[in-house]
Amino acid sequence: MRKRIIVCCGGAIATSTIASNKIMELCRRNGISVDLVQCRISEISSQLPADLILPTAKVGRDFGVPMVTAMPFISGVGIEKAEQEILRILKGE
Amino acid sequence: MRIEELNSELIFTGLEAENSDAVMEWMGREFVRQGYTKDSYVAALLAREKEYPTGLDLGQGNICAAIPHTDAEHVIKPGTGIGILKHPVSFHVMGGDEEELVQVSVVFMLAIKDPGKQLDRLQNIIGIIQDQKLLRELSKASSKEEVLKCLHQL
Repeated sequence: MRKRIIVCCGGAIATSTIASNKIMELCRRNGISVDLVQCRISEISSQLPADLILPTAKVGRDFGVPMVTAMPFISGVGIEKAEQEILRILKGE
Repeated sequence: MRIEELNSELIFTGLEAENSDAVMEWMGREFVRQGYTKDSYVAALLAREKEYPTGLDLGQGNICAAIPHTDAEHVIKPGTGIGILKHPVSFHVMGGDEEELVQVSVVFMLAIKDPGKQLDRLQNIIGIIQDQKLLRELSKASSKEEVLKCLHQL
């Protein structure tokens, strides 16, 4: 089943664009089909439901959906751990 | 990085500023003055930074960077500014807690018009940020020419 991922940042313009691209690559490499939407953090609720939310900024709310920070895709610090966590959630392990 | 992707008129070295607002104002005004962005860009930049900070904590002891930017409606044409600070200034950390600060030495200021079309450029910037050796070298650059020389190794 296709998974729906929300990648978001403050303005849906810079960091979420970079993160989206990296996450699409990750899913492709692992044979996971996804629908990815990119939006502002303020627009998350209008994009639900989703299987996973990946913000590059702080989200002060729980949407009842797994959330993993996409910051490592920007800073390069902790990429492997974030990738593993994302894959674990998407594969439903 | 390909030479045409760098806006050499937006490269500034030896910047001295008291705080992050002062750096963003100074660089932002250059974007306005040179026709990259509208007058509204500077205020929008500062407001966005307050709400969604862009300081990047690249690890203790490492050179850290920030990537201030704002919405496309304030942008006339795409551009990437590079500011090398003489002394680091504090930026709030992207994705961090309110009190989390990082000492930034290199500022990449972005004027983004169409993110899809600028993906390569954005990825180039991220490539620099994730290359600590290059970032350190860049942070020591004291002239536009040195910055260009660093980046043409990419």
